[in-house]
Amino acid sequence: MSFLRVDSVAKTFGSLIALRDVSLAVEPGELRAIIGPNGAGKTTFFNLLSGFFVPSAGTIAFDGRDVTRLPAHRRVSLGMARTFQVTEVFPELTVRENVLIAVEVAAGHRLSPWLGRSVRATLRGRVDEVLALAGLGHKAGRPVGELAHGDQRAAEIAMALALRPRLLLLDEPTAGMGDQETYEITRLIRRLHQDAKLTIVLIEHDMRVVFHLADRITVLDQGRVLAEGTPTEIAANEAVQAAYLGKAA
Amino acid sequence: MSSLVILNVANGVVTGAFFVLMALGLSLILNLSGIINFAHGGFLALGGYIAFALSKYVGFLGALLLAPFLAAILGLAIEWTLIRRLYGRDPLYSLLLTFGLAFIFQDGTRYLWGAQGLPMAIPAFLAQPISDSLFFVTRYRLFNLAIVALIVALLFVLLRHTRFGIRIRAGTLDLETVAALGVNVRLLRSFNFGVGILLAGLGGVLAAGQFRLDPTMGDDYLMPSFIAIIVGGVGSLGGTVLGGLLIGIATGVTTVYLPSASEAVMYVMMAVVLLIRPRGLFGEEGMMS
Amino acid sequence: MSAVSLPWPKQLSHRPLWVAVIWLALLAAPYWMPLAGGYTALGTRVLVFGLAAMSLNFLLGFTGVLSFGHAAYFGLGAYGTGLVLKFLAPSTPLALVLGMLLGGVAGALLGALIVRRRGVYFAMVTIAFGQVFYYIAFRWHSVTGGDDGLRGFHRQPVDLGFATIDIVNNTIAFYYFVLGCFAVAVGVMAFLLRSPFGRTLLAIRENERRARYLGIPIEQHIWLAFVVSCLFMALAGGLDALLNNFADPHEIHYSRSGDLVIMAVMGGMRSFWGPLLGAAIFVVLEDYVSSLTQNWMSFIGLLFVVVVLLFPRGFLGFLQQERKV
Repeated sequence: MSFLRVDSVAKTFGSLIALRDVSLAVEPGELRAIIGPNGAGKTTFFNLLSGFFVPSAGTIAFDGRDVTRLPAHRRVSLGMARTFQVTEVFPELTVRENVLIAVEVAAGHRLSPWLGRSVRATLRGRVDEVLALAGLGHKAGRPVGELAHGDQRAAEIAMALALRPRLLLLDEPTAGMGDQETYEITRLIRRLHQDAKLTIVLIEHDMRVVFHLADRITVLDQGRVLAEGTPTEIAANEAVQAAYLGKAA
Repeated sequence: MSSLVILNVANGVVTGAFFVLMALGLSLILNLSGIINFAHGGFLALGGYIAFALSKYVGFLGALLLAPFLAAILGLAIEWTLIRRLYGRDPLYSLLLTFGLAFIFQDGTRYLWGAQGLPMAIPAFLAQPISDSLFFVTRYRLFNLAIVALIVALLFVLLRHTRFGIRIRAGTLDLETVAALGVNVRLLRSFNFGVGILLAGLGGVLAAGQFRLDPTMGDDYLMPSFIAIIVGGVGSLGGTVLGGLLIGIATGVTTVYLPSASEAVMYVMMAVVLLIRPRGLFGEEGMMS
Repeated sequence: MSAVSLPWPKQLSHRPLWVAVIWLALLAAPYWMPLAGGYTALGTRVLVFGLAAMSLNFLLGFTGVLSFGHAAYFGLGAYGTGLVLKFLAPSTPLALVLGMLLGGVAGALLGALIVRRRGVYFAMVTIAFGQVFYYIAFRWHSVTGGDDGLRGFHRQPVDLGFATIDIVNNTIAFYYFVLGCFAVAVGVMAFLLRSPFGRTLLAIRENERRARYLGIPIEQHIWLAFVVSCLFMALAGGLDALLNNFADPHEIHYSRSGDLVIMAVMGGMRSFWGPLLGAAIFVVLEDYVSSLTQNWMSFIGLLFVVVVLLFPRGFLGFLQQERKV
């Protein structure tokens, strides 16, 4: 049984068919990249995975459990965390507060009016751990809204990490970034994948990032799966070159 | 008994017509600019008072023609000087600003024309009953209904077939795209605001003729109009029309059977709609959130 | 426009010195207010509306939810308290608690209907539902006294077991009684806002989508914040009824909801204590200006316009911004 299993999923908006018959299986510890030209349905697919939409047909199973119709916050508690194409953070709160909120929610304290001393110490330790993993320790006291774009993205990933995810969904993690920032984020993602052994599914436009990081690549085109394979296989795939790489070049 | 019911349903339709005029204007402004215009009732009252002042010189019908436009011009002046600054900001601020304007309007009309209600003279032929058997329905009510029907029809034609109207509808759905296509959004919003106030002003003149002038007369229409919009479905002007009429009729019918609850019935309707169909009868999915 | 993108100022409430100054000023108010031309009942009124504005701000400033119908819960507290004293039992604490519960239960029921609405639509639905209670107070003459308001009840001495506080005739004692209630309510709200639950509310205010994808059931949390806010709003209403020995239907009208919002905004809605400042300014101005002119409404309308255009972050926000520059 695969860790994340998507079977024949489709999504229509009125008469518009965004996705048809998309299937894929992600193994534990794998880093899967989803690529495709604009309008291929990548973001819609992501929104189905994270519970933003319910598919019109097909099923999604996570760790052997059917999550097709599960609302977003319940998927989070099962261990599916996501980041967004446009960075979504709590801009007026500090980096530490951003992560603390995620840590507290993940620890089941979202409704707690009060926490004991030892619980607070544990949570604080967890916050420091996550901040260190995301490389944000030295910026913890600053409001996220004041940070550079790359650091905001790192803070968003840190919040996702704070949820102790077993599956991390990253929607274009390097969107809108310069080379330096792209490099930093790519390194962060690689650390999460190789050192923290996280299973990661990401959408990405930057082919350098994709070929550097991915174990396997799924290519979407016009709402269906065009090809799937290792980076080498995809680079050699003629249909992909014709439909996608050719167009991009 | 049955004639009593007919009377009250008929009254309900006429009352509903006022709600429709008021709610349509509010709805237009809300849909395109994201602003709840609390001062809308103030504009309605102002329309009535302007007509009252004018009617001495041009008669009721002349005032009916002129007063709404004068109210709309004042509305545009306020949009240009004050409301325009708040587009794109937290809706809290436009709510507070129009709230303040509503206070100023109410106080202003009271200062100029007094707190006491003033009767508005209507032409004698309109004050007659429709017929001997329908002695309880004056021609003026029919006249009101006809005017409202005409104006609503005109508005829908304008929205469907004119350049401005099509842009307003498109802007309601996706203002950014409309702006990206090179449409002057500022002008569009002003025009739209002006049309909204025009409808309120017209409502004020008609209501003044049926009831009387009173600085707080707009207040009586504000809540029903909110509810008409919510019941009909935010984002749907057709829904607003239906919502206004439904509330008017429900109020009329309740007056027969349970007079003390005649004001409460519309709130019950709103609660039921929010329970069963949260987006309203004709609301688009997502427009309410 | 540029003012909007500026970061909000740091909260004053995080500075212990300021908090100490505020409490000292409140504790000593009956002694310094007369020197400044005020009187004790005015100070009590400031506390009552300060509590109301701070309760509203629990939603408005800290959860980011635009409730415009909060006068209704103030009114429910006032009428609930008055009715208990008039018909049920001559006990001030019991009346206050039941009045609070009335507001809280109404808030819980209506809140459940409206938590899915957002922004201006939330404002519209809350204001419309708020008017229901205005009409009930206005129409149900036999119980509520209709347009004349609810009369015929008096606040009762508070029996602490070992001593009895005469809050009936001694206005200064009553001031301290209200200050005690204020302290408890404000303390609970401050405590909640510093808790993990409070931080989820800030999260919802800051970015609802992000909050949802952290696993926070937004609707449940907004509902809880709404109920907390309504409870303390009703307490404020109850205290107002005790202050005047009278419950006024006009305090429930939606225009009063606007007053409460402007108090919170005028003081500074990102600051815990800002709404108290706003309420103080509003109540004192109301007292002073309405004694000078008939046109209090124009004045207050103008105040709305000025605050929105010149002080959108409230006076506290404005002062701090100036200091930074």
